[in-house]
Amino acid sequence: MNNYIELKNLSQSFAASDETITLFKALNMTIQQGTSYAITGPSGAGKSSLLMLASGLENPSCGEVNYVESNKRFSLDAIRDQIGFIFQQFHLLPELTALNNVALPLKLRGDKQAITKAAHWLEKVGLGHRKNHKPSQLSGGEQQRVAIARALVFEPKFIFADEPTGNLDPKSAQEVARHLINCCKENNASLIIVTHSNELAQHAEHVYQLANGKLSQALPFELEAEAC
Amino acid sequence: MLVTNIKLAWQFYWQEYTSNHQRLLRWVHGLLLLFIVTLTLTSNSIQNYLAQNLNGLLGADVVISQKQALNDTQFKSVNQIASKVVVTQQINTTFTHNGQYQQAQLKAVGSDYPLQGELISSTSLQSEGEVSKQGPEPGKIWLDARLLASLAISPGEMLQIGNHSFRVERVLQHEPDRLMEGHSVAMRAMIHQHDLAALNFADDLVQYRYLIAANTQQRNTLITWQKSHLPAAQLFHKQGEHPLARFWQRTENFMGLASIILFFMAAIAIEQLAQVQMRKERYFSALCMSLGASKASCIQISLFKWFIGVLVLLPIVMVLAMAGHYCLVQFLTSTFTNLTWQWQLQPALKSVAAVMFIFAIFQAPVWFALIKNSVAKQFIGHSNTVNTGLSKVASILVLFIVAFIYSDNALLTAMMLIAVLSTVAIMLLMSWGGLTFGEKVTSQFSGLVPFSLFMMKQRLVSKSTQILGVGLCAFLLLFTLMLLRDLGQTMSMYQRQHDGNVFISQASSKQMGFIENWAAKEGIKVRQVKPYLNAKLTHINNLSLEEFSDKPSDSLATFSHAIRLHWSETVPSNNRIESGKWWQKETQNWQQVSVEQEVMTDLGLKLGDTLTFYINQQAYDFTISASHAFKPGAGSITFWVQMPELATQFIDAPHYTMASIELADTQWQLLAPLWQQFPTLRMVSLKEITARFDKTLAMVTQVIAGFAVMIALLALVVIIASIKAVEPKEQKKNSIILSFGFTRKTCLQLNMIEWLVTAFITATGAILGTYLAGQLIYKSQFSLNYVPDFIWLGMTLISILVVITGIGVFMSRQNLNSSIRSLLSD
Repeated sequence: MNNYIELKNLSQSFAASDETITLFKALNMTIQQGTSYAITGPSGAGKSSLLMLASGLENPSCGEVNYVESNKRFSLDAIRDQIGFIFQQFHLLPELTALNNVALPLKLRGDKQAITKAAHWLEKVGLGHRKNHKPSQLSGGEQQRVAIARALVFEPKFIFADEPTGNLDPKSAQEVARHLINCCKENNASLIIVTHSNELAQHAEHVYQLANGKLSQALPFELEAEAC
Repeated sequence: MLVTNIKLAWQFYWQEYTSNHQRLLRWVHGLLLLFIVTLTLTSNSIQNYLAQNLNGLLGADVVISQKQALNDTQFKSVNQIASKVVVTQQINTTFTHNGQYQQAQLKAVGSDYPLQGELISSTSLQSEGEVSKQGPEPGKIWLDARLLASLAISPGEMLQIGNHSFRVERVLQHEPDRLMEGHSVAMRAMIHQHDLAALNFADDLVQYRYLIAANTQQRNTLITWQKSHLPAAQLFHKQGEHPLARFWQRTENFMGLASIILFFMAAIAIEQLAQVQMRKERYFSALCMSLGASKASCIQISLFKWFIGVLVLLPIVMVLAMAGHYCLVQFLTSTFTNLTWQWQLQPALKSVAAVMFIFAIFQAPVWFALIKNSVAKQFIGHSNTVNTGLSKVASILVLFIVAFIYSDNALLTAMMLIAVLSTVAIMLLMSWGGLTFGEKVTSQFSGLVPFSLFMMKQRLVSKSTQILGVGLCAFLLLFTLMLLRDLGQTMSMYQRQHDGNVFISQASSKQMGFIENWAAKEGIKVRQVKPYLNAKLTHINNLSLEEFSDKPSDSLATFSHAIRLHWSETVPSNNRIESGKWWQKETQNWQQVSVEQEVMTDLGLKLGDTLTFYINQQAYDFTISASHAFKPGAGSITFWVQMPELATQFIDAPHYTMASIELADTQWQLLAPLWQQFPTLRMVSLKEITARFDKTLAMVTQVIAGFAVMIALLALVVIIASIKAVEPKEQKKNSIILSFGFTRKTCLQLNMIEWLVTAFITATGAILGTYLAGQLIYKSQFSLNYVPDFIWLGMTLISILVVITGIGVFMSRQNLNSSIRSLLSD
């Protein structure tokens, strides 16, 4: 247990009209680098809020989120450049080719090998032959694979994905899930997926369920039962 | 259904009222409407004023004006046609009193003057004006208040003109036939006709005016008679054109031409805003269609919404236009005395309708997009290519229509258009070339600068439109300011360098002979001496000037009077041949001329055309064999029309000279006796030229400064519009960058780099465009050699960089309000 993100006694609530709505209370979780996690649960349970807290995009109402490395605690801001995201809507830049979309984070970082590395990553996600196509010329599944390559190309330690297969048909979803899990593993990146899809969740090493303000680790048969 | 659609349009208009693109659109519409309505109202006031002025100040039903007196036969003919004829004579002369001298216009009248209207004078400067039944008696002179003050003389004292003394009797306050001098600031004096004869001025220096009482039939007979018997004379009548009408039309045309620039900028701003509008309207109409509405209803709602948008602006535009109109009328009263402000609804509405039509052309791509729209397209996405192209065609179409309507100086219009289009080309080339080159060179490197160049190159189309918009604004502002600065500086510097400090515009042979002896004796340098004779152009290719061209132009306005016809065996050292061939020294063909190139273009003349000049009551035909242009560096006295020296042997007319002399500070006092000897000598000092020039420049400065404010305001709108057009894209880009683990600081840095590159291309393009415009326009329009001041240009470049980057970064700060959260919640 060398490097991990620690969620300790996390509570999140927000004010709506004249009442306070609490999404979850005293929630604990550890996200190990190199391990994959899936968070499932019904709509409105607070899955996306949990993702935002875990990635440091938002501050919790109560509790702490820290990055721990060799038993030393850091704020998540310290590893801001080690965190990547994958979105349900892909969010590729429409005027750039697949290759340039993937090269984007490397170019910004001043990496001289940006294009070579981007081409390599496109090969990895099986899109080497589509590298010069623009997003509008790619299918939804292909666009999400480009987004995966783009999120992993700068080798972040943690990847947060919000419903990455939410917009895809089952076949494409399967393919994207496979690429996502494999690439993260290969890169020793931690993957945290928020999803409704049990098929996708089953690919993760650890599956959590967020419901009624509580986070619990789900067993494989529970997921199957839910799927039925 | 129609009422429902109007109601819906009204509702949607107010829903969008506070949105950014609607706010900017209101600014663009409002500014242009304000400019055009104010210009129209002012123009209309002046046209009305001129019409009333013509009736009230002609002092006759018909006036015939020419240099020489009518001969007996002609005078008899006029008398036979008309009911009554009164003659006045006028000459420019210099008055001297106690060592002071002052140029003024001296008018000689008989006891039958005035024919119509009231002659008003007073006994002293302080007393009230009284109507005088006739002008001064012999031996008496009436002076206007300014002349009295200038010569420090009072009624009762004696005044010297040449060798004759006159007793100053009354203060001249108003002449009923002052129309002809309406735009002249010259001081005035009046004597009796007998005294003018005694002064013995050369007859060809005297301007004769025949004030004629005539009914409509007699007036028409006189017009026909004048055309056949006195083609070189000018004829004015109460139903005719005011002498200032063409001057004003030219001013109005110049302003109109300048408005091309404003329309062009508005077109760019609207095109940028249309991108946002198109997205919203397409989405909305697709939504309506998916809910069962017809496409026609959607288009109707869009049309009504646009119409309501312009109508809502009208009350405020009208109020501001009234205020602007009032200020302009006050400003113009120095040229058009007694011009009064009055509201005119009809012309205002007409101009509003015309501008709305132009706006509708700019807006057309949005409606066109709605016609092509469908629910399906909302699902599959679509391209804007056709509509972007259409809006560019619409902008260029409007540009040419406005240029065509307002152009009266073909060369200036062409040059202005060439300058604008070249600037557009330069900026497009720089955007494309610079970004492509920059991206190529830096592709081996990574980091923020290469990344910015890379992103700009990828967004070349939208980026170059932005650069073009901002760049044209910078170009126009720069050119306007440069013109203002350089015109003043270069002109005064140039005249000091080459022309001496006293300029003689007309000296007779006798006067010039005396001046040369006097100059030699006093050690005064004579810089340039050029002979000429007076010639009035009456026909071009046997067509009268009115028949030849009905468009007002600078050249035509000058040709309505006699011009100076110069002769020279060889090409003058300050001229160069533009086309054709200059005559050989020994040529026997004296009936050929060389015409200044700009005049050729302005009037549409070509080599081989025949010009008929009336010289000393005789008509002479000349063929155009060459055209010439001014060449700086060898004196500024140049002539529009030049003929071979041999022609002077065949033309019987008095010869005059233009010259310039250089006086030392101690020699100025020598001018008073010279003027006393030759009161009609037309001589003006550099000081006076500079004073006149400064006065004009002050007026031009005010007009240009007002115009520059309009440009600056529109420029700001263009910049904001260009930012708002790409705001969603920019926000998304920034959010994506944040998702790569970067901070907002990186986004700000990228934004600054992008605006710096934009500003650099913009500023360089604007400076190159200004340089080109300077080269094209300075020489041909102002006879000036354009010498760019590189320090000034450098400072300007830095200023533009700072201003545009500053405004750009500040106005696009909203783009930084992006977050990964917004991407997650999409």
